[in-house]
Amino acid sequence: MKRTFASIFRKEMIHIFRDVQSLFMVLTMPILMLLLYGYAITLDMKGIDIAIIDQSHSPESRSLVEHISSTDFFRITARDVPVDSVSRLFNSRTVRCVLVIPQDYARELVAAPGPQVQLLVDASDPNAANFINNYVGRVISEENVRLSGHSPVLFNVSPRIFYNPDMRSADFFVPGLIGLILILISSLLTSIAIVREKETGTMEQLLVSPIKPLQLILGKVLPYTMLGFIDGVLILVVGSLWFNVPITGSLVLVLTMMLIYVVTGISLGILVSTLAKNQAIAMLAAVMLTILPTVMMSGFIFPIASMPKALQYVAAIVPATYFMEIIRGIVLKGNTLANLYQPAGILLAMDVLLIVLATRLFRVRLE
Amino acid sequence: MSNQRPAEGDASAKTAGRDGFAVEVQDLTRTFGDFVAVDHVSFSVARGEIFGFLGANGAGKTTTIRMLCGLLLPSGGRGTVAGYDIMRDYERIKLRIGYMSQKFSLYDDLSVRENIEFYGGMYGLGRGEIADRIDNLFESIGLAEHADKLAGSLPLGWKQRMSLAASLLHDPEIIFLDEPTSGVDPVSRRSFWLLIYALADRGKTVFVTTHYMDEAEYCSRISIMKLGKIVELENPHRLKERYGVSTMQEVFLKAVAGSDI
Amino acid sequence: MHRIFYIVQKEFRQIRRTKAYFGLIFVAPFVMLLVMGSAITTEVKHVPVVVLDRDHSPKSREIVNACAASSSFSFLGMVDSQAAAKELLDDGKVKLVIDVPAHFARDVATGAAPSVQVLVDGVDGNSAGVGLGYVTAMLAQVQARWAAERPSRMPAGPAQISVVPRMWYNPNLESKLNFVPGLIGVLLVMMTTFLTAVNIVREKEVGTLEQLMVTPLASLELMIGKIIPFAILGFAQLTMSVIAAGVVFGIWMKGGLLTFYAMAAVFALSTLGLGIFVSTLARTQQQAMFIAWFIMIFALLLSGFFVPIENMPPFIQYITYVNPLRYFITVLREIYVKGTEFRFMWREALAMGAIGVAAIVSASVRFQKRVK
Repeated sequence: MKRTFASIFRKEMIHIFRDVQSLFMVLTMPILMLLLYGYAITLDMKGIDIAIIDQSHSPESRSLVEHISSTDFFRITARDVPVDSVSRLFNSRTVRCVLVIPQDYARELVAAPGPQVQLLVDASDPNAANFINNYVGRVISEENVRLSGHSPVLFNVSPRIFYNPDMRSADFFVPGLIGLILILISSLLTSIAIVREKETGTMEQLLVSPIKPLQLILGKVLPYTMLGFIDGVLILVVGSLWFNVPITGSLVLVLTMMLIYVVTGISLGILVSTLAKNQAIAMLAAVMLTILPTVMMSGFIFPIASMPKALQYVAAIVPATYFMEIIRGIVLKGNTLANLYQPAGILLAMDVLLIVLATRLFRVRLE
Repeated sequence: MSNQRPAEGDASAKTAGRDGFAVEVQDLTRTFGDFVAVDHVSFSVARGEIFGFLGANGAGKTTTIRMLCGLLLPSGGRGTVAGYDIMRDYERIKLRIGYMSQKFSLYDDLSVRENIEFYGGMYGLGRGEIADRIDNLFESIGLAEHADKLAGSLPLGWKQRMSLAASLLHDPEIIFLDEPTSGVDPVSRRSFWLLIYALADRGKTVFVTTHYMDEAEYCSRISIMKLGKIVELENPHRLKERYGVSTMQEVFLKAVAGSDI
Repeated sequence: MHRIFYIVQKEFRQIRRTKAYFGLIFVAPFVMLLVMGSAITTEVKHVPVVVLDRDHSPKSREIVNACAASSSFSFLGMVDSQAAAKELLDDGKVKLVIDVPAHFARDVATGAAPSVQVLVDGVDGNSAGVGLGYVTAMLAQVQARWAAERPSRMPAGPAQISVVPRMWYNPNLESKLNFVPGLIGVLLVMMTTFLTAVNIVREKEVGTLEQLMVTPLASLELMIGKIIPFAILGFAQLTMSVIAAGVVFGIWMKGGLLTFYAMAAVFALSTLGLGIFVSTLARTQQQAMFIAWFIMIFALLLSGFFVPIENMPPFIQYITYVNPLRYFITVLREIYVKGTEFRFMWREALAMGAIGVAAIVSASVRFQKRVK
């Protein structure tokens, strides 16, 4: 029994190493994707186009404007345009927001309550609008502190940021990208595996040898898992070195978890292609069901807690959801298995389930 | 339809009295990198001939056909098909030839009728013309009862006929058949050849490749290809005489073994 | 011309017999929009919070009650030590801990201004920032209430600047308005690029493409013949998506239908062109699917759908110029949320058109009838 498994395993390995083109692609694409998306995906905003309408033209108003433009958050694209041109400015996307300082600004600064400034924001991107609002709010509070000499507060709020003190986007997204890229690569690998199956005629193998479907599935899953794992290690190394993402927890734990996750990805891929062999459209549906949930519903960018309950249940069956938790936990929070036994256990259970399903369905297909 | 074979000497009889060959090539060559698939091949096919190309897989038969049909650019040599130069006027050739590939390229999810109507349209035939011709074609090929079935549901023998029909709707002078009978049962194979004879009788030139030895005997002339070169080109009867054997199988084995390529 | 008609007729006959297309056009938009549209939100809700109350005074209890009452938080209770709090943070069970120090109430009364610590799980910077903002706002409210209750010993106070924000087009800052229009574009590109590429490569694999090359059909005729049916299918799906967005989320476009379809037409040209180009790169359907996938992921992640393009480093912003989805997402948001007119979006239309033409031209260069 072990012999037939070993021979399939060996055969797949030979095929893999002979197919230089695919091999090259499988090893370089993840790194390219990591570099590209690692830079692209960031929620840190800067260079926001703003128009300043300063109707006061006083030293005080100029000081406020300077304070606001002192960082690279804003880029002043227009100054002192007529108020009724705001609509056109927003429509042509010249600016995202407009700060209007009224004529009586300096006068109102003399005594309480104080002046009002208007902040007009193109809220078609509500996230950006929030950021802008918060930023301006912060600047204004700083101004207010300066104006009042001391802050008349009853108590202070002092935040302590854990795990990611500078709240860098890269620290959040790069580990997440590892999860995303690994599932993409696993699907690519299974596709290569399936094509090989067609070319080499697995059916013949099955008919000729007394092999059990389980051995066949495992014999296919394992070589590609190894490749996927190598990919994972590569991305981890590049990700942490290039983007300066620290690996706080145990490296061994990270690698073990990656291995489990890659097996999940590949088993899922093989299961999907066993089902969807005939129609390209079934494949498209399968793609939509694996890639899209991973990107949109695994907590990669969008917090799961914010989703409607029903969708949180859906997120619970997406393998990437657990991996995201695991990898961010280990890499950023220094989690150990004690913290993570639940998601790890679920991933492992998924591995077993998927392989069993794939084996069952394969047998059915034979008959 | 009687089981007629073209008599000896028929080939030369047909060329006499007509001007020009249906297909004529000289030193036709095709390389893929270092590999020479077709090596300076020369031959002529007269109108109305059934010209056969015999050879093992990879001998260069399909590559030759593809060059003649304008699917592949020759690396060297010259040729004409239906009077048109294969290097320059390959698009003009297409209207006058029919082609049936090894794979019986058909749309499985269209009916027989829909498939043939489609190809009629590709060859520029109008709705009325197609309608006129299609029923006659079905009659002569024997597809009438299957006309509205999905092509994918037909057994292999009928797919083969459908593929042939699709290549004939525009009434081409020359028909190229690339291993048209591969995988088909012997009974269907024979009735297919009866169709080919009927075509030749109507004056069409048939250029066919095969690796079935018995089919070689049905051709006016047969050429044997080995490793891209033609090692024999002759009427099958005369070949058997020359080699002193009674079957084409033996001719082939001797011809291919004998040439020291 | 006449041959194009036959190609289109053949495609439709095949499409009619493939049931899956109906699912893609009529069912997929609703399902996808429902699921994805509900899932995708950058709003931060139900932040799990615990309070570490070292003071146990009426004032600290007020803070606890404010937490429990707040709709932004999911108040999970109290902890007794910082170690316990840290463990909850490590396990990911809470994202925020409010640590009220001992003698809090006393220090507030004497004007010693104690510090309330807020421990934040900073892994997700966005959520962390927003969550912290919620806490700060909540505590500011508590402060304001206490200040109002006190007899006013303090002078009237200095002048303070206040900001009056006006959110144009989306006053409630609903993130759905941001994402749902984008999803319409995502669905469309999936349908057009992926299916066109796979369709043509399937003909390559089966051998019917070779059969077509033997006929007098010109490559351009073939491409147009393939574009037309998929363009029509794409529009059908697009219309369904628009209806789905309206029915499921109540989001209807503010701008003009004509502008919308005109933009969609140019976008479809670019995605179909890309699909055809992809088909010239792949030899098998599997390959075609993969190339199409990677292009779609690229198009998706670098389109401004998830993350604004202005956030990205300049060199990546340059790369996005070749992504037709980037322009279409912009256009969709403009038309849906702001009702922008065509004249403000001609650049986007031009870019999409140029990409489409370039793709088709490149494809026809590669698509030689005679193999060299």
